[in-house]
Amino acid sequence: MPDIRELGPQGRGMLHEGWSTEVADYVIVCGWALEGNAFLVGDAAGGLYAFEGKSGTTLWHRKEVHEGGLLAMSIHPDGDIFATAGQDGRVLIWKSKEGESNKALELGKGWVEHLQWSPDGQFLAAVFSQYVYVFGADGEEHWRSDKHPSTVSAIAWSKSNELATACYGRVTFYDVIRDQVNQKLEWQGSLVSMVLSPDGDIVACGSQDNTVHFWRRSTEKDLEMSGYPGKPCHLAFDHTGTLLATGGSERVTVWSFQGNGPEGTVPGELDLHIGAISSLTFSKRGSLLASGSRDGSVFVWLLQKNGHGEPLGGAFVGGRIEAIAWRPDDCGLAAVNANGGINVWDFKNRIKTSPKGFS
Amino acid sequence: MNGTQKVPVTILTGFLGSGKTTLLNKILSEEHGKRIAVIENEYGEVGIDQGLVINADEEVFEMSNGCICCTVRGDLIRVLGNLMKRRDKFDYVLVETTGLADPGPVAQTFFMDDEIRSEFSLDGIVTLVDAAHIDQQLGRSDESSEQVAFADVLVLNKTDLVSDESLDTLEARLRDMNRMARVVRSKQADVSVETVLNLGAFDLDQVLERRPSFLEPEYPFEWTGVFQLEPGRYEVSLEEGPDPMMSLVVVADQGTDEESLNEGAESCVRLYAEPAELLHPGDKIPLNKHVNLQLQSDGSKSFSLEVEKSGHLGLFTQHTAEEFDIKVRRMDTSVTESGSTQQNDLLIPPIAERTWVAQHEHDDEVGSIAIERNGNVDPEKLNAWLSRLLSEKGVDIFRMKGFISFAGEPRRIVFQGVHMLFTSQPDREWGNEPRRNQLVFIGRNLDEEALQSGFDKCLT
Repeated sequence: MPDIRELGPQGRGMLHEGWSTEVADYVIVCGWALEGNAFLVGDAAGGLYAFEGKSGTTLWHRKEVHEGGLLAMSIHPDGDIFATAGQDGRVLIWKSKEGESNKALELGKGWVEHLQWSPDGQFLAAVFSQYVYVFGADGEEHWRSDKHPSTVSAIAWSKSNELATACYGRVTFYDVIRDQVNQKLEWQGSLVSMVLSPDGDIVACGSQDNTVHFWRRSTEKDLEMSGYPGKPCHLAFDHTGTLLATGGSERVTVWSFQGNGPEGTVPGELDLHIGAISSLTFSKRGSLLASGSRDGSVFVWLLQKNGHGEPLGGAFVGGRIEAIAWRPDDCGLAAVNANGGINVWDFKNRIKTSPKGFS
Repeated sequence: MNGTQKVPVTILTGFLGSGKTTLLNKILSEEHGKRIAVIENEYGEVGIDQGLVINADEEVFEMSNGCICCTVRGDLIRVLGNLMKRRDKFDYVLVETTGLADPGPVAQTFFMDDEIRSEFSLDGIVTLVDAAHIDQQLGRSDESSEQVAFADVLVLNKTDLVSDESLDTLEARLRDMNRMARVVRSKQADVSVETVLNLGAFDLDQVLERRPSFLEPEYPFEWTGVFQLEPGRYEVSLEEGPDPMMSLVVVADQGTDEESLNEGAESCVRLYAEPAELLHPGDKIPLNKHVNLQLQSDGSKSFSLEVEKSGHLGLFTQHTAEEFDIKVRRMDTSVTESGSTQQNDLLIPPIAERTWVAQHEHDDEVGSIAIERNGNVDPEKLNAWLSRLLSEKGVDIFRMKGFISFAGEPRRIVFQGVHMLFTSQPDREWGNEPRRNQLVFIGRNLDEEALQSGFDKCLT
């Protein structure tokens, strides 16, 4: 295994140093807003920051926006507004440019741990213990789920009007406009995370018992991928829905859904990190995967349709990587870490520059 | 990975009304300089005064494999997973469970989930017991006996509502169920904070420091007196005591040093295993025989003893001499120089005395077993034995802890386990200390002989 430190603090290969900075506490959420012109960051103490996308200059900074700490952030698809939630049981809706909150939604005494804007930006879903609330962009409550059998551990929009929720023992698809349950997928296990394929047919969940469980909605058939040494809570689908990248160890395990897969196929294994995987994100287009680890390393991989891949570049930033975000143009990559560090790289795809002199 | 100190976690269990919230408030007010997070699950009791209180429903997550040892508390994983992200980390976490909670999944969470395990350490389980009501609760629910069995500290609370006598009985019962736990008594959960926090409860050395007799063998007798007797007739007298009957074995040639006393105790155990002969007041006590003295009548009772040649006679009695005011007196007066016949002058004091850890009737299904052996164990044999034991009996083994010695390993290997899960790690160096092994099991219907012989086979 190569020593990632050899790659240097700025990284080599395809990651070119952009800017970096540090905030006061453990960074837990991040994302690009205003078409890549602003990078938003939230830390565990409830600090909220906006940095200018190219230079890293601080645009604005707000302290302790959620008493007790911030837990979740979701940026509206148009990037002009975003929402945060925290241990104070509140959801705040913010203007990205000004850093001003014009809506505060009080859900009650308890944590709001998950937030997600619908793909068309019409709705904002928020998890409050065993319930999921759906608000309009104006902050009006539009819909509320029935009580789940346990705390909701993940949510994902399958369509603009259909929301999937995961909790202990089941995944439920709700039509939030007609207020009905479209589908219920059950399995006795603690589902700790969930991703949907872009067409919405495949539901993949990381499970407490070190497996990835998935269903095909069209057939309701399910399958379990086991053999992970740790809890595979980090999952990512590529934009075509062919590749599912999973954590659960220091290797990234990539399952390919092409043909009759992944049943009966051998997954791709991406093996350069020393610590367990802590973040996985695919680029918006193409099959570029960015992976971050508890050891503080970040790698970018170019994947083939069969799930196997090659590293294109890497960097070591020192703290556990909590989140990675591709810039909307896929030409930049940001990683935030447990030490409060923020690193942004320009990403140049070397494949386009073909070798010269040998033809 | 970053080598930072793990945050200690204390679990507070006990039935509704046992005083958990009172104790919580006491801890928070006395430790106000520290950052303490409280994860509270029980509603409806008195409010918590200060500190960060997080309410979370108890969510017990079983896995699809059906293994009870993989069962964890999902709420704790979620909440602790978020708490550990703060830079100004907490100094301490207190988890309060409801009276109906099974402590197993709570404790297992700190073994099963790798992220929780890397950031937090289970410091101890403190179980509050309502002295006035626990007797009924223990009979009625599995949860309450499991909460007692899992405890590192048992706080016997509301002692002002119960007589001293029934407190003693209750304490003896709780000790029978869990010999590992420290028992503290309190009126309104007013125990000192040091007795419940920073216990390092999984450290067996500390347990032994608190209860040195913990690993001692139990005997069917509580007291031994050795008497230097010349040939002649003697009287053994007993006053009114706690029992209408008492078992006794009198052995000849009993030595007075520690080793001889232990040997005598071992051989008396075998004599005690024989059926006892019933003796009435006035009867002669035979040597080297298990007898039951009938003590039903009022006042003082006496039995006779004949000594043929001079020597040391050992009396191994079921109760202590103090309890019955047991006395040995010379009966014939022929050898007294002064010619006095006053019995007081003929009272013979023991030349050596020893009390033993008494065997109790183990009424409760839940109990504890200790194994102590000198020497080294074979790592492979131990591993094979423990794996088989825990896979077969793990459901009934609630807690396990101890340390062992491997040949060639300069450090002690310390163990701790919950149900089928266990961890082991090297501890301090042995140095010149003789190599030995100690293991303690607390569980339901444990077979002591099978455990001991299983362990003995692992010795090299």
